[in-house]
Amino acid sequence: MTEPVWGPVHQDIVGLLADHPADVPAVVDHLTKLQDLLVRLPPLEESCPLADFNKLYLTITTSVLNGLYDERFTDPVFLARLDVEFATRYFDALRFWTESSPNTPKAWSCLFQRMRGPDARPLPSAAAGVNAHINYDLPFALVTTFDSLESEPVDGSEQHRDYLEINNIFAEKIPGLRRGYLDNWQLMIDMLNGDIDDWYQGELVEYTRNVAWRNAQKIWRCRHDPEARECERTRLDDNAALLGRLLLSPLGAFLQ
Amino acid sequence: MASDVDTAPLVGRADTVRALRSALLDDVAPGHTAAVFLTGESGVGKTRLLAEASERLRDAGALVLTGSCLDIGDASPLHPLRQALRRFDAEPAEARTASAVRGLLQVFDEETPGPDGAGALLERVSRGLQMVAGGRPLVLVLDDFQWVDRSTRQLLLYLLAGLGDLQLSVLAAIRAESLQGAHPLRRVLTELRRLRSVRVVDLAPLDRAGTDELAAAIVGTPLAPDDADQMWQRSGGNPFVVEELARDLRDGRDGLSDTVREVFLARVDALPQHAHAVVHAVAAGVEPVEHWLLAQVVRLPEEELIDAVRAAVAHRLLVSADDGYRLRHRLVAEVLAHELLPAERAALHRRYAEALTSATAELHQARLAHHWRLAGEPGRALPAAMAAAREAERLHGYAEAHRHWSAALQLADAPAAVAPDGDRPDPVEVSRAELLEHAAETAHHCGEHARALALLEELAADPAGPATCDLHIRRARYLAAAGRSAPAEAEYRRALAAADCTPRERATAAARLAELLLHLGRYGEAGDQAREALELAAAVEGSTSELVLASAALGYSEAFLEDPDAGLAVMRNALAIAERSGRPEDVACAYLHLAELLTGPLNILEEGVVVARRGAERVAELGLGRTWETRLLAIATNGLFRVGQWAEAEKVVAAALRHRPSGADAVELLLARCRLSVGYGDVEASDRDLEAVATVLAGGGARHVLPMLILRAGLAMWQGRHDLARQAVQRGLTESRSDDVIVLATLAWHGLRAEAEAHASRTVEVDPTAVRRLREVADRVAGKSEKAGAPVRYVADGFLALCDAEVSRLDGKGDPELWARSAELWDHRNHPYPAAYSRLRQAEALLTRRSKPATAGRLLRQAYQMAQGLGAVPLSSEIRTLAGRARVTLEESPAATRPVPRRRKAAAEAAPAVDELAVLTAREREVLAAVAEGLTNREIGQRLFISERTIGVHVSHIFDKLQVRTRVQASAIFLRNRPE
Repeated sequence: MTEPVWGPVHQDIVGLLADHPADVPAVVDHLTKLQDLLVRLPPLEESCPLADFNKLYLTITTSVLNGLYDERFTDPVFLARLDVEFATRYFDALRFWTESSPNTPKAWSCLFQRMRGPDARPLPSAAAGVNAHINYDLPFALVTTFDSLESEPVDGSEQHRDYLEINNIFAEKIPGLRRGYLDNWQLMIDMLNGDIDDWYQGELVEYTRNVAWRNAQKIWRCRHDPEARECERTRLDDNAALLGRLLLSPLGAFLQ
Repeated sequence: MASDVDTAPLVGRADTVRALRSALLDDVAPGHTAAVFLTGESGVGKTRLLAEASERLRDAGALVLTGSCLDIGDASPLHPLRQALRRFDAEPAEARTASAVRGLLQVFDEETPGPDGAGALLERVSRGLQMVAGGRPLVLVLDDFQWVDRSTRQLLLYLLAGLGDLQLSVLAAIRAESLQGAHPLRRVLTELRRLRSVRVVDLAPLDRAGTDELAAAIVGTPLAPDDADQMWQRSGGNPFVVEELARDLRDGRDGLSDTVREVFLARVDALPQHAHAVVHAVAAGVEPVEHWLLAQVVRLPEEELIDAVRAAVAHRLLVSADDGYRLRHRLVAEVLAHELLPAERAALHRRYAEALTSATAELHQARLAHHWRLAGEPGRALPAAMAAAREAERLHGYAEAHRHWSAALQLADAPAAVAPDGDRPDPVEVSRAELLEHAAETAHHCGEHARALALLEELAADPAGPATCDLHIRRARYLAAAGRSAPAEAEYRRALAAADCTPRERATAAARLAELLLHLGRYGEAGDQAREALELAAAVEGSTSELVLASAALGYSEAFLEDPDAGLAVMRNALAIAERSGRPEDVACAYLHLAELLTGPLNILEEGVVVARRGAERVAELGLGRTWETRLLAIATNGLFRVGQWAEAEKVVAAALRHRPSGADAVELLLARCRLSVGYGDVEASDRDLEAVATVLAGGGARHVLPMLILRAGLAMWQGRHDLARQAVQRGLTESRSDDVIVLATLAWHGLRAEAEAHASRTVEVDPTAVRRLREVADRVAGKSEKAGAPVRYVADGFLALCDAEVSRLDGKGDPELWARSAELWDHRNHPYPAAYSRLRQAEALLTRRSKPATAGRLLRQAYQMAQGLGAVPLSSEIRTLAGRARVTLEESPAATRPVPRRRKAAAEAAPAVDELAVLTAREREVLAAVAEGLTNREIGQRLFISERTIGVHVSHIFDKLQVRTRVQASAIFLRNRPE
């Protein structure tokens, strides 16, 4: 018998993933429960790289939930649907991984593989998760959300403004998480990209989120064409996986 | 070798097959629907499982229709269903069924475009399917569901929601790989899998034991441990790969293939030459490829062709059925795609196109367009694409039509290829502007707003395009449909300012602009604009539609600006004009706006209901029953619900649903019926309607979700599930717009009520965060409603009064003054249900404080009488419980309206000559007679043709009036007083 994917918490995680959260409060609840399970995963426990990401994601989603309650957004139906659809993709990736399915997106596998070690620093781990989630999952979540709302990704629309409002949430939450790592972050990004202007401070997220919006528009245009859609998907998956592996490499440790 | 095909047993799926049978047939209650979506990777055995399950279902007495979806895109609307019917038609069947099948196929052939065509077609298809089923349970089995077209998807959701009034089960297989990314089915499945009637089954690869069993069955003996290990390692339990590897092992070949794709590659390599050509030809075709067609494409003598086909079948690449050939798996086509030279592929498509030109076949035009395009002959593909587009429009498949028009545009732009055979026909003369116009209009109809606008820009640049004003109006229409109000407004203003604007166009633009301003809540401007539009329309002959539209905008704007009478007069006048000179749609539209105005902002409910019902009759006469009558009846139902005539509302909604409405109309009616069921406390009926609504909404339209959540919360509260009510409210709050004051107020009340009742009944802990949030919402609503128009403010005030009062229950014993205020507000609005509820709580608060017991008693009696009048069972029983605890007699007062002498029972015993049954209505006497016969409520309902629930209401009335508690006591009185 080989050891189950999630070791001692395998049954708990399978049980949790069997449920599909339908609204943002339920997503927050799910992420909270998941966090409690991930930090019990040996041998890394508290320093599990996926837990580093999950914690960040939980923080952001909780802020989104509060924003929805506090009328921060113009079109809450859109934002709530997007948030759920976005989270669904993370839970789907976890489900695929649980089943050792070849369908696990490569963008995520590189982080999942590190769950049981070797240890990676929290910051690059969280960044690798953010990378997979924003660079790979987000464009598809956007497309599906617009599709189900019978609406479209249009620049300057209410939905676009709400979408950009999330960047402010990241900006509010990231300084606390990133305190003290800023210089190395910049150097790292500089090395990756060569263009520091676009990438400094919280703008990494802003930059990638804009890319995600553009990618969503691109997929939107070819969404009825299975072949083109699949081609786009593979491209995003490969790119995100490349960046993810880099973040988790010794080079990533340099960030912290 | 051909005998080798399909001999492998079905291993490890016995439980799944059994589960499918019970989920799709045995466990489905009569009149209900069910669906199972089977997902799994390639080669995991989905198709095989479908075949196996179909056979079992057929054996068990179901009528099974099987079809599959095509990967040439949205080729033709409803293709899988039509294909399934044709296949079924080819099988021997009893005459009645066969003629029903042909009748339904004819429905598709004879369909013509028209208003509400899509909805009417859904209705006709469901009637047709009902005839085909002939009382048997119907199962629709669809393979390759990842390629389903939008029309089929909507049809299935419509039928699964029970709107087609058909007992239907659906079994569909989906390739798991294709659900990655942004596949449109993803979201649909996520929504559907929450429903009780739907299951999404992920078909896993075989386990180790299954793998061993399957391999052993093929090899003939159990595998050696090493071989078995290797088999497991290499196949990962994928039955297709297991079969293949086991065959290699048995035949002493050294198979190298570990994946389905590699297996196919190896097989293609091993094919004899002719068979190779056959497989290539089928891969290039649209399945199923008929034998005659294949013969013309492959160009082999008959004998050789048959040998080649046999070889391809034996190599397990091709499947042969009565209707033609199919690849064993679509992966084969993907594998082959890289093998052919572009010129070879083009030549194959050319042969298909040529062969099809002279013969009509299924999907004729779509296939021709497909093949000519891939043959590199845009000039010949173009007319076919246009014909396919018109064909799709005929079946109301605007999404499919749009794709064909777009393809036609591309074809028209493509440089003409050099004709290899020299006999090219002259290029077809097609106006580019015409293509653009069709493409834009179909894009608009199927919700591709950005695309519609982009096409319109191209059209504007075309010299043959429409005039400036026309363009502005069209652009405005598209923008408004996309929800982009600000640019839409600007376009209408440009249209009005355009030099070439005709009086007719000016009236249209002005009326539409007025409507848009109204939706934006700019009532004053809307009114001014509407007045202008009315003047313009009056000057133009035949502009009744504009007149009706502008009148409605004016009526609403006046209602919000507090001169309701003026607005009402305008709307009444518009109706009169429409009756004199308008089209049927204008009349219907005028009735609708008038009824909405009355039951909505003006809250003149009784009259609104009368108008809605009169309008419903009138539009039915005009032949608009399906669409407009159902809409008007929905308004009547909601009005009747609010004024407390629930029994009447129930009848009206049932009548409306007999039209089998679809889409938003259906959702509206289901919600109206559910509102009644929640009031009656009929959990099962409420649940069923909520599920049906969720099914329809799974196809899109998440914006109708809020009323559903509010009902879910209301239902959960009667069930004592305050946690579920809280969840529904929380979701609602996170998904409502901040300017939707009434929805927010309703949600806040439901949320606070759930917490207050959780507090009182101790079912769940009160959630202080939830309470804090709900109070914040209520505060914000209060602030906003002050600025809102009077009609909004009145409704919001009613809910805010309820909120305040619920909060007082959370803080202490409940404040009777706050409840009294709420009761007064709702009385004033003429809504007995919340008014009765408020009285109950007021009485409760008084009793808890042990003050004014007489007032509390009076309130309880009033509340009880109101609740009984409604038939509100859970509310009545709560009142009874409280009355029982407080020792309040609910029917005590001798001055009560009902002439029920208090000591009637004793008097009756003394003097049986008095007819004790005089207090009962005729209907109640009928019911009582049946009770005395010992019938159950269900049986009585069947006998008297009314619902079981209504019988329950009657029985409780009878008990109250006769002052008895059991059926036996009631029967005794009946028998004692029975006319001899």
